[in-house]
Parts: sequence; C-alpha cells; structure tokens
Amino acid sequence: MQVLRVAGLTKRFGEVLAVDDLSFSVAPGEIYGFLGGNGAGKTTTLRMVLDIIRPTSGSIEVLGNAPDRRNTGAIGFLPEERGLYSNMSAIDVIAYFGQLKHMRAADARAHGMELLARFDLADRAKARISEMSKGMAQKVQLATALVNRPRLLILDEPFSGLDPVNQGLLEDEILRASRDGAAVVFSTHVMQHAERLCRRLLLLRTGRKRFEGTIDEARAQLPSTIDAIAPDGIAGLEGVANATRRQALDGGFAEWTLDLAPGVSASDVLERASTRALPLRRFEERRATLHDVFVHLVGPEGDAGTSVRENQA
Amino acid sequence: MSWHNILLVARREVAQVMALKSFWLTLLLIPIALAVGPLLSERLEDDKPTRVVVIDRAGGEAAAALQARFVFERDQRTLAALSRYVRRHKLERADPQAPWAQHDRWYTPADVAAFRRAGGLDAALARIEAVKASDTPSFEQPPAAYDIVPATGALATATGPALTAGAERLIRAEKDAPAAERADVVLLVGERYPADPTVRLWSNEQPRPAFVASVQEVLTAELRQRLLMGSGLSPQQAAAVQSAAPAIAVTTPPPGGGVREAMLVRSIVPIALAYILMMGLMLSGSWMLQGAIEERSKKLLESVLACISPEDLMYGKLLGALVIGLSMLTAWLGAGAVVAFATQGAIADMIRPALAPVTSPAAIATLIYFFVMGYVAISILFVGIGALADSMSEAQGYLMPILLAILLPVTFLLQAILSGNGGALVQVLTWVPIWTPFTVMARLGSGISAIEVIGAGVVLAAFVALEVVLLARLFRQSLLAQGQKAGLKVLIERLRPAREG
Repeated sequence: MQVLRVAGLTKRFGEVLAVDDLSFSVAPGEIYGFLGGNGAGKTTTLRMVLDIIRPTSGSIEVLGNAPDRRNTGAIGFLPEERGLYSNMSAIDVIAYFGQLKHMRAADARAHGMELLARFDLADRAKARISEMSKGMAQKVQLATALVNRPRLLILDEPFSGLDPVNQGLLEDEILRASRDGAAVVFSTHVMQHAERLCRRLLLLRTGRKRFEGTIDEARAQLPSTIDAIAPDGIAGLEGVANATRRQALDGGFAEWTLDLAPGVSASDVLERASTRALPLRRFEERRATLHDVFVHLVGPEGDAGTSVRENQA
Repeated sequence: MSWHNILLVARREVAQVMALKSFWLTLLLIPIALAVGPLLSERLEDDKPTRVVVIDRAGGEAAAALQARFVFERDQRTLAALSRYVRRHKLERADPQAPWAQHDRWYTPADVAAFRRAGGLDAALARIEAVKASDTPSFEQPPAAYDIVPATGALATATGPALTAGAERLIRAEKDAPAAERADVVLLVGERYPADPTVRLWSNEQPRPAFVASVQEVLTAELRQRLLMGSGLSPQQAAAVQSAAPAIAVTTPPPGGGVREAMLVRSIVPIALAYILMMGLMLSGSWMLQGAIEERSKKLLESVLACISPEDLMYGKLLGALVIGLSMLTAWLGAGAVVAFATQGAIADMIRPALAPVTSPAAIATLIYFFVMGYVAISILFVGIGALADSMSEAQGYLMPILLAILLPVTFLLQAILSGNGGALVQVLTWVPIWTPFTVMARLGSGISAIEVIGAGVVLAAFVALEVVLLARLFRQSLLAQGQKAGLKVLIERLRPAREG
C-alpha cells in the first residue's frame, strides 16, 4: 500500500493556478524528492497533503485516508520557515508536539529525550529555546517532526539554513526514517542532496509535473555529451547532432565535444566509429547531471516545449 | 473540533503567561493595593488638629470662651458619631435614655451637658461594651478639630512689629516643628476688647469658614453678654437670652438606608466588578495579543497547523486567555473577600452590607454571566487583532486605540450610573454588546428590570456567537496570509465565508 497517493490535484488561488493536475505516489521506505523552482507549487502541494489548505479538485490519500487531522499521529513535518516557542524548554516543545500528534505525554517525553541524546543535546533538554544557538534550535525542531516515529515524513526545504554538520545529521535521520519504513517526501533546491538520497523524484514547474522517475531516468532526459580526440571524420557520424572542434592536435587529430541526437547512445556512436575504422585517442561519455536536467526542465528552457518522459514507478 | 487539542493549546497558553513576571506582578497588584492602601491612606490623612494660639490681652475670658466652644463642638460631634454607631449596630438597649440612644435630633448644648454629666464617652462605651457582640467593631472617636493653646513667652506680651514677626514665625514654621514653635492660626484679642472689638487673626492658609464662624459666634456671644449685663440684666438672665435657640428635630434613615446612600451601598459590588473587568482586560490585553500572534511571529505556524486545525488553535487560545483572565480576577476578588471578612474594621463594615443585596442566586448568576461574557466578548476582539497583525508591535498599534474606544466610555458610564443618572445614553449602552456587561453590572445596584437584564443577556450571547464565527473565519484566512497590510478591505475580505479553491 502506498503511504501517500495524490491524483489529479489542482489548486487555484483566484486566477492563479498554483498546482495543475498533479499525480504521484510514495511507497513505504521510499525517499521521494520533490523538486522545483521558486513558486513551482511544492509548498502548496505539501500544505494540501497536510490539510493546511484544501485542494480545488483532485484527491489525496494519506495511508488510505483523506487528509485530515486524524492522520496527524502518522505524519512528521518540518516546514521551510522554522521557529519554536522561545520561552519553552527543548523537551517541553518536543513533548507538546508529540501530544498534538496524539502521543501520551510520558511517551513523547521519553522519545524526545532519546532524540535529544542522538542529537547531542541531552544536557540542554531543559534549556529554553531562547537560550540555544540557531543550530541547536534546528535540531530541536527536527526532533518535533520525528518524535511520533512518523510513517510519512514531509520535509520542506529541510537543508536550507543548516550548516554542513547539521546537513549530515539530517541526511542520517532521513535515511534512518526510510530504513524504519517511513515514506520520506522532501523538497529541495540542492541537487546534490536529491542525488544522494532520493530513489525517485518529481520535478515541478509552475504547478505542473515535468518529470517523475529515478535519478538515472532523470539524467537520461538529456542526451549525453562525448569528449573525444579524433580526426575530423567523427563530426559526420550518424547520431552526432552537433560537433564542436575545440582544439587542433598533431597528426590530423583534434579535441571534440559531441552532442548526441535524442535516443542515440554513446555506444552507438562508438560502434559506428569502429565500423568506419576511425582512429580514436580518447572517447569519454559525459552524462547529464541532475542539475542540468533541473535547469533544462524547470529553468527558462523548460518553456521551449521540450519533450518530457514520465516514468511511473 | 478536538477537545484534546484545544485543552493542550489552552494549557500551553496558560503556562506561557504564568511564566511571565508581569503576570505575577499584575496578579499581586490588587492584594498589594488592598494591604498598602489603608496604610498609605492613614499616612496621607492629615488628622492633626488645627493648632490655634490665642493671645488674649483682655483678661482671658475670650480665650476661655473659645476653648469651651471647641470642646463643646468636639463633644457634639462625638455624640452624633456615637449615635450613628449605636443605631447601625442596634445597641440602644445599653442605655435607652442616653442622648446617644436617641437619634431624632440635632444635639443641643443641653444634650452635650447630659452626656458629660453621665460620664462622657468613657462611661457610654462601658455601657455599650456590656451589650455589644464580640464581632461588632469598636467605636472610633472623631479626632479633635482644634487645639486651642494660650500664647507663651515673648509673644504673649509682644506688640507692634515684634508681635507680627512672632505670629508669622509661628504660622510659617514647618509642620513637623515642635508644637510650641508652630501654629496654624494665631488669634489676638486686644487689650481694649470689647471697647475696640477688633480681633486679629494670622493663618498659614485660608482659614476654614467653620472656624471663623465659630470664633465670630463665640466672640459675638461674649460681646452681647457684656452688653446685656451692661443694660441691667443679671448674668443668668443674659446667659438665658444668649442660649435661647430652637430645638431641631431630625429624622434620618438608618446608616446605609438613605436613597442615595442605599444605592451606593448596593452598587459597591457590581460596580467594583465592572471596574475589575475593565482593569483585567486592560492588563491582560497584551498577553492575549502575544498568544494570538505567537505562532506567526515565531514562524512555527505551519508546524502547528500540520497537527491541529486553525479553529482548534483559536479556541485553545481563547480558552487559555479566559482561564488566565478569570484566574487573575478570581485571585483579586478572593483577596478582596479575605480582607473584607478577615478584618474587623471599616472595610468589613462597608463590604458586608454591600454584599447583602447580591447574595441571591439570581443576582450571583447575573453577575457571573455578564462578567464572563464581557471578558469573552472583548477577548475575542483582542485575538482578532492578533490574527490580523504580523508582529507584536503592529498588533499593539491597533490594541491601544480599540482599548480606549471600548473602555473610556465605560468610565463615564459608571460615573453617570453612580450619580443616579439613568438617562438615554445609559439605556442605549445597555443594549450595545461591547458595553452591555459594564452597564448591566453597574445598573444592578441602582435598579434594572429583569426584562432588560434577560434581553441584554440574550443580545450579548448572540454577539459572542457571531464573534466566534467571524473570528474563526478571520483566524483561518489570516494564518497563512503574511505580509498583507491589514486594512479595512482585507478585514472584510477575510470575514467572508471561505471559498475553497
């Protein structure tokens, strides 16, 4: 059973279409990247999943139920904008959120203490939030999201504002939650985190899905580039869409950058070069990075009607 | 609606406010005022008698007459106060024939003479002590108004500039100077008095009319006495002419029983509650704002809304504000009640009769209803302000004008009701929900019909219900709409029913 299933989700704010016919699902234990530029509709979608705002049309199922506060006990949420009750102690804040998520006070405090110990904050459990550094407060906020051992963990731009140490700690917690069977959905602008953590990801642009699939499938969205040292004949091989001669070398060789035509693989070009007995001193495939794919699909190029393949998991 | 969540939010709100030092300072305000007030009032009260130095160079008769007059006046006032005390505590059986047990007259010199003959105040109190209950407060004699003393030293014989300088030195002396070196009034009766009837008076302030009138009366009587005797009347005949005066019979209601006095006594508790409600709202307004705005100003709104609905959050905050406000007011009323019932003095004496008219179940229920509903009605406005604003400073900018707009008319209203003014404005404000609680409570003492109380109560309940509906809309619409300038147009837009999508 999918932990989260979204189908045909649309949200309008007056004349503005914030989310347009969006569908996706996340399985238990899966880490799912929710990627998109500013204003793409990521936060709006996550707010609808959390029942903070209601959709215009479409359906959402969380653990098989329509989104409402009865699901609270199964959800952990770390919002992009972060803050805590500054006059409360760390453990009191965690216990408060645990109780709001239907936990017994004693259980919430016990698990809160476990989390604080894991985050090296056990000795600051009774310190007020206002007395803590920003980094400490961020860990406490993460603990408020994890205190109820959520089956669906939603993290909205979780890495923004974190120092490298806390970024590592957060990555560990995401992986731990996934290992424990939670479905993790996180939005981010930082592609390295998505590449490291996500099994699948979804790219949003102005409320519409531009891509959904694995990291490999995402990278395959853009043709590979080949760096080659070869004679001029390589530019005329079938499947090479564009060849740039970068530098002339001795013996009729030159450094080339080859852009392949859609659907053509590097091995196809290599095979054709061999067939024509074209000598090669270097033949190195450079695959598109997730960053390239993101810029291509979500950036200004995305308006050009680039064909997008959706790979349903 | 989840009561679990509402109670959790309310508990957190209460704990948050109770952690503030300002809360405890505010809570202690009334008990401290009750404890310190009487002490301060005693210190501030100037009950020292006016010190009058008399320079009588005409033989001393005038000075003696003045002395006798002021002693008489004090005994007369003591007698009147004792009569009032006896009447209030129903102690006439101590000595039914004594002048202080007969309350239907203006006490004459003959009454004062009888009082003195019977042993004066000490003898009267001894008789009263034999019959009074143990919890009856003690009688307090009115302080002496004047202290008449003869001039001493050089001043007694000084003349011309030395006399003027001596007199002025006495009246200009500091208040805490030794008694012998200061005076409030210096009075000179010249050597040729009464041939020259001029009497000189130096005073450190405008002399009291009653004092001047008494001096004039005494000296006039003394002049007339001499003239009458000079005309051939015997001293006894002259004195009889002087003392000829009508007997004035006086009928008054018992203490606390006069129309105005009775209204004031009956109004003490309701008006005190109206003032306490007003004060409680003024003091707790900023805490309510802080609570309403906290999640937004601290950027944790989404975290909270992911767990509970906006309505539950709002109800929890309202409940928390109500608990804080009512516990504060209960503590104040409790402190007042403890002071009233534990002390054996003027406060208890005043509060006990004041409580009598509001001890019926209907009166208690009415007071509690309007008190609680008044607190809720105005608290909702404060929470609404908090929902509209993005920061505490912005919210406080709205709070003060609204607080003044609500509470300033209340101060005038309460004064008008206390003055017995039940005019059109008071009638109208009874039906305006924001002012209904104050007006109805204040009018309970002076008289308000049951129909008006019930009708105004129903209107108030409907107003609070409407406020709750509108606040829920405002709260939900405002929660995630940060950065919008909170103008009237935005307010109206947010008060409309939500249109999803």
